[in-house]
Amino acid sequence: MKRIKIDRDKCIGCLTCTTACIISHGSADNRSRVVIDSYGKYAPIFCRHCEKPECVYTCMTGAMKKNQDTGIVEYDKDHCANCFMCIMACPYGVLKPDSVEHKVIMKCDMCQGTESGSPSCVKKCPMNAITLEEV
Amino acid sequence: MRYVVIGSSASGINGAKTLRELDKDAEIILISKDEQVYSRCILHHYISGIRDIKALNFSGEDYFEKYNIRWINGVEVIKLDDEEQIIELSNKQSIKYDKVLIASGASPFIPPIENLRKANNIIGLRNLDDAQEIKKAIDHIKNVVVLGAGLVGIDAVAGLVDYGLNITVVEMADRILAMQLDHYAASKYEKLFNEKGVNFKLGVKAEKLIIDDGNNPKELIINTGEGIPCDLIIVATGVRSNINFLKDSQVETNKFGLIFNAKGQTNVENIYGAGDVSGKNPIWPTAVKEGIIAANNMAGNELIMTDFFGSKNTMNYLGLATMSLGKVILPDETYIEEIEKDENNYKKIIHKDGKIYGAIMQGDLSYGGILTQLIRAKIDVSKVKKPIFNIDYSDFFNIKENLEYTY
Repeated sequence: MKRIKIDRDKCIGCLTCTTACIISHGSADNRSRVVIDSYGKYAPIFCRHCEKPECVYTCMTGAMKKNQDTGIVEYDKDHCANCFMCIMACPYGVLKPDSVEHKVIMKCDMCQGTESGSPSCVKKCPMNAITLEEV
Repeated sequence: MRYVVIGSSASGINGAKTLRELDKDAEIILISKDEQVYSRCILHHYISGIRDIKALNFSGEDYFEKYNIRWINGVEVIKLDDEEQIIELSNKQSIKYDKVLIASGASPFIPPIENLRKANNIIGLRNLDDAQEIKKAIDHIKNVVVLGAGLVGIDAVAGLVDYGLNITVVEMADRILAMQLDHYAASKYEKLFNEKGVNFKLGVKAEKLIIDDGNNPKELIINTGEGIPCDLIIVATGVRSNINFLKDSQVETNKFGLIFNAKGQTNVENIYGAGDVSGKNPIWPTAVKEGIIAANNMAGNELIMTDFFGSKNTMNYLGLATMSLGKVILPDETYIEEIEKDENNYKKIIHKDGKIYGAIMQGDLSYGGILTQLIRAKIDVSKVKKPIFNIDYSDFFNIKENLEYTY
């Protein structure tokens, strides 16, 4: 499967990835973010589509699923019961509900729904801080 | 190799699926008392009418075909003969197994309150049958008592709240959801449900049920002497493990339920256990993980359960979401409690010597998962030079070879 590789040292916190994410999903919200640690260093927080995904284990409706072919942890908003157990389960604090209706989980889908089908954040990063790698 | 899995909820469904992923050729049989696969955590959405039975399925519609699993449904396991390795079913069928996963779950416990066990319309909210029975009763009843204000009880209230019934919640603790919430967080829900006409009798004990000649409930008498009118009682006062069928076997159980180790092994070879049947940590993610882990060990792939953090939950009633983790009430003065709140949000973190022991987030739950991990793994946060409510993953940022995060 492919994962977004994060080179933290290259990140300048420009938030182009955040903007690209919002636009790519036609959404009011971002599905990834860049945060700053105690020493002022940037840390891009992107869903890892984990091998052992806590969000999937904790999903009581089956809305959150690991696609064994692509490795992507997929989220079906129509099957979701908005219980928010996945938000609680993600050890890295990646997930949140949408800010408009507070119902839909803002989950990275690696831009599967777009024409190119590959992550918009990676394409737009001016620093090459995030790249798509086969793992 | 023939694997038999007993139970079609979180552990059983995930266990059987994992067995298939690890063993392409084995015969896998899943036996369930349930006739449908459904998530019991969302039964209140079935009662309220926002989900039909199909939408309760968490396994995917083509589960049994996709994973080539033979499903014997609507049938109860009566006896497990661990010497002959045979399971006897309520339909008189006997099934031989090479290895069996017991994921038979638990059933509502009806407390020994006078007349409660013999009355009609006394329903626990555990199975789809229960939810169907409750839904059927709605048309011809007026007064509902929900006994117990834990998550199941409040789920029941949430499912019924829009039907115009007279609902009264009877609870021994001084607040609802006492295991998950402190007084402040609980009071927010009490107020929201109050506004919808729900009555709460808190800090009281049910003493006696008055029934008519036909055994129909009339009035529940509580220890204050007050009588609460009821045509239906939903009993949400806890569960007991489904281990009756093991009583003539050598499989070890205790007062909670089935005993199995971190690999899912019971004391008898070829017999494994997972999920609520243990009587411990009865939450969905634990059941899923135990099912997956037991299945791995059954198929010869060693895997050990490491996540024993069971006091965690989220809820979302009447548009207000809450996350509850670990200790939510200050255990003693050696712990420090920090609170941040405004009109719509409430956050509380309990910590001591650089470690977080408990938290409540109410309102906006964004990115709250970090707290689960910090509590579960007892991670020292004293190196983080930020307000405790602003802690995020940046100060623990660490990437593995496969590009996943780790701590």
